[in-house]
Amino acid sequence: MPSDRIQVLQGTLDLIVLRTLHSMGPQHAYAIATRLEQVSEDLLRLNQGTLYPALVRLEQQGWIKGAWKRTESNREAKYYTITPAGKKALEEETERWRRMSGLVNKLLGEEA
Amino acid sequence: MRRLWAKFLNLILPSRAEREMEREMRAHLALITDKFIRQGMSNEDAELAARRAYGGIDQASELHRQERSFPWVEQSWKDLRFAVRGLAGNPGFTALAAITLALGIGVNATLFATYNAVALKPLPVADPSRVVRLQRQLESGSHGDINYGFAYPEYQYLRDHASAFAGMVAASFPVPALAAIPGSIARQRARGELVSTNYFADLGISPVLGRTFLQRNAAEEAGQDRVVVLGYGFWKRALFGEPGALGRVIQLNGVALTIIGVAPESFTGANVYPQEPDFWAPLSLTAEISPGQDLAWHDRGARWFQIVGRLRPSVSLNSARAETELLLRQFLTGYTEWDPTKSVTVKRTAYFGDADDPRFQAFVAAMMLVFGLVLLVACANVANMLLSRGAARQREIGIRLALGGSRMRVIRLLLTESLLLSLLGGAMGLTIAMSISKVLYLGVLSVFSPFLPGVNFSDLNTSLDLRVFLYALALSAASGLLFGVAPALRFSGLGLTAALKDENSAFRFSRSRLRSCLVGAQSAVSMLLLITAGLLTRGLLRSQVADPGFDTRNLYLVFGSRDRGLVDKLKALPSIQSVALGSAPLTGTWTTEVRVGNATSATIASLASENYFHTLGISLRRGRDFTRQEAERGGSVAIVSESAARRFFPGEEPLGKRFTIFIPGRNRLEKAKAEDFEVIGVTKDVRYSNLTRVDPAHIFFPIASLSATGENIVIRIQGDRQRALAAVQTEVERFNSAVLPNLDVVSLDEGPLRAHKALAKVAGIAAAILAFLALALAGVGVYGVIGYLVNLRVKEIGIRVALGAKSRAVLASVVGQGLFPVFTGMVVGLTVATALSTLLHQTLVFPGSIDFLYGVPFYDPTAFLGAVAFVAVIAFLASAAPARRALQVDPVIALRYE
Repeated sequence: MPSDRIQVLQGTLDLIVLRTLHSMGPQHAYAIATRLEQVSEDLLRLNQGTLYPALVRLEQQGWIKGAWKRTESNREAKYYTITPAGKKALEEETERWRRMSGLVNKLLGEEA
Repeated sequence: MRRLWAKFLNLILPSRAEREMEREMRAHLALITDKFIRQGMSNEDAELAARRAYGGIDQASELHRQERSFPWVEQSWKDLRFAVRGLAGNPGFTALAAITLALGIGVNATLFATYNAVALKPLPVADPSRVVRLQRQLESGSHGDINYGFAYPEYQYLRDHASAFAGMVAASFPVPALAAIPGSIARQRARGELVSTNYFADLGISPVLGRTFLQRNAAEEAGQDRVVVLGYGFWKRALFGEPGALGRVIQLNGVALTIIGVAPESFTGANVYPQEPDFWAPLSLTAEISPGQDLAWHDRGARWFQIVGRLRPSVSLNSARAETELLLRQFLTGYTEWDPTKSVTVKRTAYFGDADDPRFQAFVAAMMLVFGLVLLVACANVANMLLSRGAARQREIGIRLALGGSRMRVIRLLLTESLLLSLLGGAMGLTIAMSISKVLYLGVLSVFSPFLPGVNFSDLNTSLDLRVFLYALALSAASGLLFGVAPALRFSGLGLTAALKDENSAFRFSRSRLRSCLVGAQSAVSMLLLITAGLLTRGLLRSQVADPGFDTRNLYLVFGSRDRGLVDKLKALPSIQSVALGSAPLTGTWTTEVRVGNATSATIASLASENYFHTLGISLRRGRDFTRQEAERGGSVAIVSESAARRFFPGEEPLGKRFTIFIPGRNRLEKAKAEDFEVIGVTKDVRYSNLTRVDPAHIFFPIASLSATGENIVIRIQGDRQRALAAVQTEVERFNSAVLPNLDVVSLDEGPLRAHKALAKVAGIAAAILAFLALALAGVGVYGVIGYLVNLRVKEIGIRVALGAKSRAVLASVVGQGLFPVFTGMVVGLTVATALSTLLHQTLVFPGSIDFLYGVPFYDPTAFLGAVAFVAVIAFLASAAPARRALQVDPVIALRYE
């Protein structure tokens, strides 16, 4: 096990999923998971099942919406789309995250 | 919000979400599998690889479930179903535990149901939550009906100016009347209220028959309507419930009134002290119906009326209070009050209007404490039963823990079980309460009611309402936690290996320590209750033969007049042996400070005229009686009891000695003054202030020498009793017929004396019932513990017996171990009881206080040793059966036990 693997911070998974759906359009869970692994260049590897709680949470909050469709390979899959409320939430959360990480970076920079 | 709703939907319809989840996961797996197949794997390998990539399907499903709904609700539901199965599968245990709890909760719920009916339920009026009673606090701090008395002009002012009230009614304190009903010869005694004409309309009471008063504020002052509304009970009793009674004319104290209506049965009046009125008449007739008062009814000093108001919607109690207080203050400006009004309270109504009296509250709190002890014993018992049952479940719990159940989950499961058990017990207890509270209440009242004339308590509405249910529920939940927590912590806290290994004696012995503590606590409480009951029962036995020290037969108290002229007339009657004026014996007393030289001490004080001691049959030991002149003019002389003489003038000749007392002023404006008295006589010591003990010190003053007017006429009759009493009545009517409605002739034997004995009886019996309940429960506890210890030691006993141990030694060891906590508990109970008893004993320093034990010493050896013996015998009996089992242990079987 490489030690530079990142544990997903509580709550950040939601943000990442929202961002993925925003930039890539409607996606099913498997595609989201694959995309996460690619983007993080395998730094972030999760059991794909752990994605589900985040999807449930987001859907119940009304930020994403799921619908059954057919994939290119003619398999059925549930495609999630980001809703307008989700976009708004994404903006707010992104802003919050930026400020937060900026602050942390600044503090760490001072230390060094 | 939206999420809560979604979660809630998933909670009640879990199957849809579950199907959806499974479908999605299947689809997900299929996609991964496709990928691996594309990469060239065989179908089976691809499927396996997909599962690996996906991670644990079950874990993912569980995470999904937790996220989409409220996992704790589902878990609780599962726990509940499991608990129901567990309890149903062990009906003997369940029944025994539930009955134990039902007894404990039942007695407490009964007590609360009665308290609720008396002090919490609002009056049966329309929309009772908005109806309030006005109360004034006086600067003297006096407590009693004077707090509820308002003058008519005060009422008028408040009614006309207060904006917080939609309506306000005035009702007099109950007035006695002799009712002459057309068609019947004998006049009947009745008590009723004189009320403002809006009384029924504003309280929202519609008559069952006829109508109520027409509302005419102007007419109220003019006094035009000569009409009356009858109480339901009186209508049934005196007019046989005839509908034809409407329109007939009855005379109340000689005033002719037309019956216009009958109040509904449920309406018991709005008097602060419960008393169902026989009639309601317009208050403009006050002067005619209730004559002979010093003040006119519309005088500002005549505080004869109680005020009940109906708040406007959306007006709070507090703002109504503030406004009323302000208005009353405005009204009273420039008027000098006897005892100035300090503040005004506005409070919700109840059957017993004065329930916030601290004395009443203290009494209720004490009762709840004692009843609570019984529940505590019941809880200890059930905890004990759970512990022994837990021994059998040790393995099951161990498996749960081993399979990854968290400690919290196991605790929750066990607590669910105990809560279910306690709710079951609570429901049964409530059923008990429902059936016995009314019966119990009526039973107690039938003992007391002869001494409370005119008070009809049977109209108390003891039906259970939401408050009682909530109380029983809270009590059940609390006891469920109480008896459930210790076993739950105990069982869930064991290490895995310990739990799974069947025999872990260290653990089992540690559990037996907990059980021993519980049994010890039970023994202590039963001991305490038993000693209390023992003392009270001893008091009860003594009370039934207590002799006041003077002859109470043929002795009567005449209430209603203290007129000298009447005394002289009565003296002339041949059927009356002797008559005098003075305080009423055995009806409570007045105590005062006495100063002799520089020493101050307290004494009981009473009033007496000449011939008083002769009438009562209290002999004078030394000196002389009061003269008529001293009695009437108020001489500075006094007669003391023998014990008072010993106390104030030890070893000296009391006659001719002087002492000082402080006489309170007639009103707030007059200061208390010190006055000197000379001792002119000494009486025999008797039980005068109450039957429970000989007065520790008693001084009699001439009736006119103190500002108090507490005297009554006392008569001793001779010859035929009926004839003598009839003669008194005739004489009173001839002397002044206005006195007749108020006249009340009470036999000392049948009245106060019987009331004292009845009180002792009720207290003794109630304490005995509680004590035996506690004892029975403790007995079951001891039985359980020793049985458990025997089971625990079967192997060891087997070895001992096999090695040739004497059966007596085996018995001693087992029973000794089991009874040790019982004895410890007994010692604790004994200590607490002694402390309490000593504390109670201190109250007797006050000369007027009641000795519930009738002179039984507070360390009464009979009660204490009796209780010890009783608990010991019960403990031995309870341990006999399990101990026999210990003796019958067959070594062969015992050794093969494992």
